[in-house]
Amino acid sequence: MKERILQTLSDLRKYALEKGYEVTLFYHEEDSYLMRFANSSISLNTNEHLIRLDITAYSGRKRASYELITDLGKLDEMKKGVDIAAEMVQHAQPLTYQPTVPVFAKSFSDESGFDAVLANISNEARLQYFNTAAAGLETEAVKLSGIFSSGTNIIAQVNTRSEHTQYFKTSDAQVTAVLSHSALKWEVTAEQSANKKPDLDPAALRQELAFLVEHYQADAPQQIPLGSYDIVFGTAATAEMLGFMNWIVFNGGSLKRGFSCLAEDKLGKKVFSDKFTLVDDPTRLETFPFKRDFTGIVRKPFPIFQDGVFQAFTWFQDDADEFGAKATGHTVGHKSLVLKGGDRQDVKSLPDLVKSRRDKDVLYIPFLHYMNIVNPSKGILTGSSRFGALLLKQDGSVTVPFNVRLTQSLLDIFGDKVAWLSRATVPYNSSQSYGARNPTALIVPKFVQVNDLEISHSNSSY
Amino acid sequence: MLDKIKQNIQRLQGLGATYVDTRWYPFEESNNLMMWNGNLKSATSARESGVGIRVLYKGAWGFSASSDLSDLAALYDKAFDNARVAAERVTFPIRLAEKDAIQAKFESPCAVNPFEVPLADKVAFLKDMDEKLNQPGVFQRFCDMTFVRKQIVFVDSEGSHIEKIITEAFSTMQVSGLDDQGATYERSFRPSLKGDTRGWETLDRQLFSENAERIVKEMNQVRAADECPKEDRSVILLPNIMFLQTHETIGHALELDRILGYELAYAGGSFVTLDDFGKLRYGSQKLTARADATLPNSPGSFGYDDDGVPAQDNLLIDKGILVGAITGRQMVEEANARAKRQIFKGSGGANRATSFYRVPIERMTNINIDPGQDGTLDDIVSHTEKGIVLDTERSWSIGSNREQFHFGTEIGWLVEDGKITKVVRNPTYKGATLKFWNSLTAVGDRSTWQVKYVDNCGKGQPNQSMQLGHGVPVCRFDDVRIGE
Repeated sequence: MKERILQTLSDLRKYALEKGYEVTLFYHEEDSYLMRFANSSISLNTNEHLIRLDITAYSGRKRASYELITDLGKLDEMKKGVDIAAEMVQHAQPLTYQPTVPVFAKSFSDESGFDAVLANISNEARLQYFNTAAAGLETEAVKLSGIFSSGTNIIAQVNTRSEHTQYFKTSDAQVTAVLSHSALKWEVTAEQSANKKPDLDPAALRQELAFLVEHYQADAPQQIPLGSYDIVFGTAATAEMLGFMNWIVFNGGSLKRGFSCLAEDKLGKKVFSDKFTLVDDPTRLETFPFKRDFTGIVRKPFPIFQDGVFQAFTWFQDDADEFGAKATGHTVGHKSLVLKGGDRQDVKSLPDLVKSRRDKDVLYIPFLHYMNIVNPSKGILTGSSRFGALLLKQDGSVTVPFNVRLTQSLLDIFGDKVAWLSRATVPYNSSQSYGARNPTALIVPKFVQVNDLEISHSNSSY
Repeated sequence: MLDKIKQNIQRLQGLGATYVDTRWYPFEESNNLMMWNGNLKSATSARESGVGIRVLYKGAWGFSASSDLSDLAALYDKAFDNARVAAERVTFPIRLAEKDAIQAKFESPCAVNPFEVPLADKVAFLKDMDEKLNQPGVFQRFCDMTFVRKQIVFVDSEGSHIEKIITEAFSTMQVSGLDDQGATYERSFRPSLKGDTRGWETLDRQLFSENAERIVKEMNQVRAADECPKEDRSVILLPNIMFLQTHETIGHALELDRILGYELAYAGGSFVTLDDFGKLRYGSQKLTARADATLPNSPGSFGYDDDGVPAQDNLLIDKGILVGAITGRQMVEEANARAKRQIFKGSGGANRATSFYRVPIERMTNINIDPGQDGTLDDIVSHTEKGIVLDTERSWSIGSNREQFHFGTEIGWLVEDGKITKVVRNPTYKGATLKFWNSLTAVGDRSTWQVKYVDNCGKGQPNQSMQLGHGVPVCRFDDVRIGE
């Protein structure tokens, strides 16, 4: 299949050259499977096999694109797409800067993230996974929801500047299991990310769910008072906040457009806690990495924050072209963000956290729902807790809080208020399936405790 | 193609499928042009075609989709196999509400097909707007237009055959500026949906020109304004934020699949329960809301949904009391059975998919608030002692059961003793949904009522982004916390 894809791109390149066009060709193929659960049933079992071809034509400083969903047997349709893009670019308006047309110095192929066993996991195996993960936890009132999303993702590139190609192939799986009480409306979750079959461990997922369900069934939920709390964030919450950093903290284009809370004068300065070290690390297979970016830049570990000190903005090629900056190898579908673990070795799991000694009450927030940017210049985000929050009392007891809202600046959350990060880190799968498949994961500490954060709203029910 | 579709539907029925439908998209084309600071950053067109097949077998759904139609039979077999495995874990066997077999055609009103407008004309429009936005104080200028045109052929095993051609045009422009600390402030414009059509003709150059001048002026006012106070006030929501308040805390909260727990893995649930229909005081007596898919000029109107059910105008909230939901064929059957009473008399015709390769789910149509008796915006302001007028969403965040929310807007005007006194920056407001809607104390008349569109409503897994509308008046809510 790889040969056929690259041959098709080569044929299209030849066609474009014969016509005198300047084009880049970006091929995306996904074979996606999703089994969705709700109310303890499989509410949807679906698959899609889609091939997209994105053709960008250049003429001097002009640029235009045409994308089609097609298949490899339709070379004439693809050639027509090349013609359309070439026609469009004649009517485009010149940019004020020269857009880069990449030149691949040599061909590159990376299939290190592909596991044929994971890619070909069967319907029956997906169902068996969920049956194991939820075994004995469902009741008349407690219902299972979730997804098992898996698939294969192929990206291939060529352009008229060079005969060399880039080819990326990966497999991925994202599992979310939710147990919810149909009358009381509480909900708890556990998630897994896999880039190879052995990563899937339904028994471990069940263990996490069982622990939370035990507390949620035993304790009456309560509205907690507004005010300041020491908060332990779980992996999903931490990953969500780091995801927003992509846009309003260290993105060079956002900086230049006034949509960043950090200015250039913060480079080399301490911005966050000295416990905060963030790297874009494409060597970590768990993040479904791109080892080269889409312009051919070789990607290596790229420090963004080191011990809280701001190291560098990241630049997409087009932003770099526009603002006269140097591209940093971040013209990719997603980065491979890794937040380094801390020095807390004794807290590897939620039971460890619950039983650990504490000198005051601690609020555990595993997940932040519907987070959004309130004020980019100040780095202020808002979002609500969801899925299994716990109030860990000073005396060792545990209560279940109704959901709360946090409206805080990232600069505060990851600043000097950081108390500790767990040594243990885990991949968190943050993939969305809007548009083309793009498996994405971050590596984050299992827990991050931040002290003295304000709760701005506290629910009186679910 | 149609013969092959019908043959395969019959074949799966022979294998035991209780229902099969097919959505064949002969084409879906889109075109996006985006100009940022005078640079045509995006000049993108796209075209796709394909088939999505939905099979109901032993009370479970299977779905399969592909752009490759060379082996249609295999695609039907895959959908059937997906349903066969799904049927191994069923707790409530799916049944579909009754509907008529429909043979029909629908075409959304469009005077000028945007795909027949030369690219050069579209670029010229953007360039003209960009130049009008290029004024003192403006740091960033953004203009965007997106067009969609698609043909959908729906065929099901109950004898329906519906063909639709839908055309949409979406456009927006925005400016931002910085204060002396380098903080950014935005002001934007999206046209209201007026008239009876939704093609290229909806891009009114004169309207954009007038509003370009207005948003630059208002953005510069915001840059120099004081910070929004943190206190309780009446909030007066203009249609450009009222639509989102309605969308997030009435629309999503009343999607029946959310109410029944079918979105708990992602989008969330709803604070509403089946017991609430006919009883729950959702808002004050001034609140009447409806799901009206019959407005001619909105993307929330589509003729027939993707279950093949005709578009409808259904009450959701009648003088404050919850009476209806946003529904499709599957969910109304399950809701009535679970409630052990007939809450819903049939599908509300709101099951839609965003593309051939996604499955239909309950989506908002046009979720509207009826105009009220409290006069114009000026009338409402003049009867407000201590308030703030808010316009245009800047941020939005809602609890997972839609029980509470936090919104930020681009601009606020403080109101003291019936008069607008000054502009404030970084305005926000928050509340608990039921308390908020029950604090509705003024609803503007028809002169304040505007239809706004949403072109990117996210829901479902695999994820879907949907287009819809909201017809809303100016509304006032009392005792709301602002400025947090």
